[in-house]
Amino acid sequence: MTKPAPNTSEKYDLGFANWVYENVNGGDKLGLCMQCGVCSGSCPIGEQMDHGPRKLFMMIRAGMKDEVLSSNTMWNCTSCYRCVVRCPRSVPVTYILQDLAAKSVELGYAKPNENSKFSNSFWWSAKTFGRTDERLVTAKYYFSFGVVEGVKRGLDNLKIAWGMIKTGRMHLTMPHQIKDKAGLKAILAKAAEIEERESKS
Amino acid sequence: MPQGGPKSQTILVVGGGIAGITAAIEAAETGYDVVLLEKSPSLGGRVTKFNRYFPKLCHPTCGLEINYQRIKKNPRVKLMTMCEVTGIAGAKGDYTVSVKRTPRFVNDKCTACGDCKDVSDTAVANAYNYGLDKVKGAYLPHEHAFPMRYVIAPEAIAAGEGDKLKAACKYGAIEPDQKEETFDLNAGAIIWTTGWKPYDAAKLDTYAYNESPDIINNVEMERLAAHDGPTGGKILRPSDNEPAKKVALIQCAGSRDNNHLAYCSRICCLGSLKHAAYVREQYEDAQVDIYYIDIRAHDKLEAFHAKIKNDPQVHFIKSKPGHIKIGEDGRPLVCGERTIDREIYEEPYDLVVLATGMQPSAVKGYKPEVGVMEDEYGFLVPKANGAADGEGIFSAGVASGPLDVSMSVQSATAAALRAIQAVRGS
Ligand SMILES: Cc1cc2nc3c(=O)[nH]c(=O)nc-3n(C[C@H](O)[C@H](O)[C@H](O)COP(=O)(O)OP(=O)(O)OC[C@H]3O[C@@H](n4cnc5c(N)ncnc54)[C@H](O)[C@@H]3O)c2cc1C
Ligand code: SF4
Ligand code: SF4
Repeated sequence: MTKPAPNTSEKYDLGFANWVYENVNGGDKLGLCMQCGVCSGSCPIGEQMDHGPRKLFMMIRAGMKDEVLSSNTMWNCTSCYRCVVRCPRSVPVTYILQDLAAKSVELGYAKPNENSKFSNSFWWSAKTFGRTDERLVTAKYYFSFGVVEGVKRGLDNLKIAWGMIKTGRMHLTMPHQIKDKAGLKAILAKAAEIEERESKS
Repeated sequence: MPQGGPKSQTILVVGGGIAGITAAIEAAETGYDVVLLEKSPSLGGRVTKFNRYFPKLCHPTCGLEINYQRIKKNPRVKLMTMCEVTGIAGAKGDYTVSVKRTPRFVNDKCTACGDCKDVSDTAVANAYNYGLDKVKGAYLPHEHAFPMRYVIAPEAIAAGEGDKLKAACKYGAIEPDQKEETFDLNAGAIIWTTGWKPYDAAKLDTYAYNESPDIINNVEMERLAAHDGPTGGKILRPSDNEPAKKVALIQCAGSRDNNHLAYCSRICCLGSLKHAAYVREQYEDAQVDIYYIDIRAHDKLEAFHAKIKNDPQVHFIKSKPGHIKIGEDGRPLVCGERTIDREIYEEPYDLVVLATGMQPSAVKGYKPEVGVMEDEYGFLVPKANGAADGEGIFSAGVASGPLDVSMSVQSATAAALRAIQAVRGS
């Protein structure tokens, strides 16, 4: 991946749109967007996003690099794919948001926030056990805010946890793990290797 | 072309909407014999079903009536209704066209007195009003029908009403024994003017067309506003017949959308501007919200756009709604994002009108395979080498692309000229 032109002092970076077209997965389709609003208007959590996909795409075109890469829009996306299904121009909205999130981490824009912390906890569990375990993901996520906050969040949600245990949605036994953890490790290593290679080419 | 010039100088026009009528009259008044084939029982096509025409908002009969007079006066035009083409063989100058005629059960002695209607006990969906109401099994297609002749619905014959209807007619016009017929016609050139149908709103599953009677399409809106429509011209909410005073008009409902019709239908923006005018004329205190991506009022029609925009009770909201839900009170809720200020909205309406686009009728059923070809959307366009290959089949009106009435008429005149050149062998 080549870095976007480093003129961070400017509010509008005119090379940014091109950089997104060339470097972000699905970014080459951004030129098709006609700013109709269907994606943001269809998003189940559109109101929680600072900009929403449509406006974010306009900001990319306008070259608002810093605002785009530090936006919460991509972090709040739940990958429900409603926008992708409905977009009249077949813009792969979800893919673009996912990769923008990755790019904002790589380029150091993403401040640790609720979403990135949750994402990290989720990934940690998946990578370590080959499965996600509700208790471990939640605990890791809560305590990533510090011990005091971790305990507080844990206590606040005790009722929900108890409800989940009662209905069999959460277990008290040992975490489920996959059998071939070494195999998983090899797959992930290979994927990382491919990603590394492709980002260089 | 056959040796020694064309064998037939007759021009066949398929489809009797405004484009077909124009092509037929233009060719006939220039001195050529014309056969005008129409699938339905009367002429005029979609235009007859409008309340008013943009941009001047005059009544469609103004334009149609004069054309019917010209057809009546011109012995060169032979009109055949309830006929469809099922096959074309031969080449320019000598086509043999197979035609299927569906029975009308009424001959040309009919005076449209209506005595048959009075005795019919069957009720069938009223095609003129897009099925929004019913007519008797013996019916006149509509009050300005041309030819002005009754039709007996096959349902009435199936219900055994034939003899009763026949007895009621004092002119001997009813023939319950008519059967479907097939026959051949000879023509030197063919003009294809089969027009359009509204894109099926039920396919827009996020817009809940089938979930509420108060979500309608734009051709139904024309009928709701028309004096001879299902509500006698009052724009009422279909669910409870209360005045529809808060109305949403949704542009590009299925148009410019890769999941539906990828093209701009060109007239539905103007159609909705017209619908805003209908609502505002009826209700002093009405609110009309037009949801749009961009308003496409082409060339001279921009003035009409500007006029409607001046009305403070018509709001232009730049947004393609994401979906329409049914609220707890049963009213449709239009949901989306206003793109100017990024407000997420969820707005209730009395009536929601989906501005569906025009889809060529030719996407279904028989269509010619020479002379013209289907483009990627199903419109029939000239083949690159059609005329050069000596083919004499041409298209016009909305069969050839999304056109308004004046553009359809222009294209029909152009097609008539090409057809004349074809049958003259020049
Ligand atoms: C909501 C709406 C509002 C509109 N309002 C306006 C307006 O105000 N002003 C304006 O200028 N334009 C308006 N238009 C556009 C207008 O409807 C078209 O320009 C016009 O109908 C084109 O006429 P046509 O003859 O090409 O097609 P049509 O009107 O569709 O006529 C085609 C004819 O062919 C017949 N037919 C179909 N298939 C066959 C077949 N296989 N064999 C034999 N016959 C067949 C049909 O029965 C019909 O009679 C509007 C469109 C919409 C959607
Ligand atoms: S739905 Fe598609 S075309 Fe519309 S604003 Fe979103 S990305 Fe752009
Ligand atoms: S005319 Fe207007 S409503 Fe119709 S497809 Fe074009 S832009 Fe959309």
